[in-house]
Amino acid sequence: MPVGGGKGGVGKTFVAANLAATLARGGYRVVAVDVDLEGANLHTALGVQRPRRSLADYVAEREEDVPKLLEETPIENLHLVAATRPNLGSPQPSHARRIEFVRALRQLDADFVLLDLGAGTDRAVLDYFMVCDEGIVVITPEPTSVENAYGFMRAAFYRRLRLAMVSEDVRKLVALAMDERNERGIRTPYDLLREIEQLAPAEGGRFDRIMRSFRPRIVVNGARSAEDIRLGFSVSSVCRRHFAIDAEYMGYVNHTDDARRSLRALRPLVDAHPRSDAAVYFARIARKLLEPRSRSAGVEGSV
Amino acid sequence: MKPLGEQDHYEALDVPRSATREEIERAYHLARVTYADDSLAGYSVFQEGEAPLLRDRLELAYRTLADADARRAYDLELEQETRRSAPEPEIERVAAPVVSESFGVAMLPPPQVLAKDLRDEDPDEDDTEYDGQRLQRVRVRRGIEIDEIAGVTKVNPTYLRFIEEERFDDLPAAVYVRGFLKCYARCIGLDPDRVAQSYMRRYDERSSKRKRGLFSRRG
Repeated sequence: MPVGGGKGGVGKTFVAANLAATLARGGYRVVAVDVDLEGANLHTALGVQRPRRSLADYVAEREEDVPKLLEETPIENLHLVAATRPNLGSPQPSHARRIEFVRALRQLDADFVLLDLGAGTDRAVLDYFMVCDEGIVVITPEPTSVENAYGFMRAAFYRRLRLAMVSEDVRKLVALAMDERNERGIRTPYDLLREIEQLAPAEGGRFDRIMRSFRPRIVVNGARSAEDIRLGFSVSSVCRRHFAIDAEYMGYVNHTDDARRSLRALRPLVDAHPRSDAAVYFARIARKLLEPRSRSAGVEGSV
Repeated sequence: MKPLGEQDHYEALDVPRSATREEIERAYHLARVTYADDSLAGYSVFQEGEAPLLRDRLELAYRTLADADARRAYDLELEQETRRSAPEPEIERVAAPVVSESFGVAMLPPPQVLAKDLRDEDPDEDDTEYDGQRLQRVRVRRGIEIDEIAGVTKVNPTYLRFIEEERFDDLPAAVYVRGFLKCYARCIGLDPDRVAQSYMRRYDERSSKRKRGLFSRRG
């Protein structure tokens, strides 16, 4: 399950580390994977200061066996694939290599695999987000974060569509629609569907399936007020109404100085302060992850 | 943006067709926050001047769905619309669940008509005086029971009845009554502020008389 959200600094790594730790502390076998080669620090958040192996070794083809990339962490049941690089010139993985990596991750002997994504809407980031229908989008109660989160979800949605559509014409149309100021006036997925149905009726059904299978989950990080907490519901509602994206609100984590303190101590907050409010909120989110989804039917299953 | 005219009232409020009154209440309040001018969740989503339109759309949806009779009539229309568009297989496929329902019921009969009818039979003008009797009449006409209002607003049904019967002596302090009134009004689709203002004028008049009476008896 990927943890993304577009904007940097919203706490993707914080959420990924603590969610992973929460699940591991609950007895699940968890692998936390840092796929942010540009800004790797999941290892630090999990208390592994100097990872011996890393995704970079896999990218550079020094290591072919993904299970061998796993590092132990101070937390039982929780393993890590770090993304530290021996030197800054190391290459980014090719598209094919990335697919291979994800396939190997799926075969790991674990109950949960969490991916900590980088910022932005790079194709690499989007593709990692794509590995699962129900990735987590982290937002903070700030306009910048909200704006980027919508941008991120829209980009992921269109990327999925492009990948799923068969005919070349339709793919071009999707690419066109990704540009918000396109000349055809395609503003929403609904407009796009209408255009696609005219162009290739058979693709309309495929579009509909894609639209319904994409169901990201929202986590509000750094909530300080009831209004911040409610933001998740509002964002979920806006997604449904305006982007045809069925995004479920998973819960929130309060704004807390413990987050900084535990980071200094190189331990996930839920491990250092298992009785803190934040730990309770993470437990709530984890429980929700384990439950079948409430709204609209769909095949349930985590990565 | 998806043309608002194509969303049915349920989609506009983001509730399932089977939503209870309470769910509709909750969805409405969330939507009011979501589409407020300073809404964080709406940031970067709405085009200029769009938020007020969205709010009007919500208001209309709420007024219809919160009124039992209007909702029944509306449901019937929706059903007929869906049936009419059903023969086309392509549309039927997308007409099934939550998100895409809208495609099947594209171009609904203009829902304004419903709300307009409502307003006509119950002129909700600036100068309308809302006494207990009037409130009750509106409530009954809209097919809402006191207990339903109590269920949604969590206001004791006895007080709601006292409000309708204008038993001012049995009602609690003005500040509470004002709050109850607003909940009550919102619930039956009236403007809470206007109702509270109008009713409280009567309430104050009456209670000041009462106090004067008390003093004179003592004096």
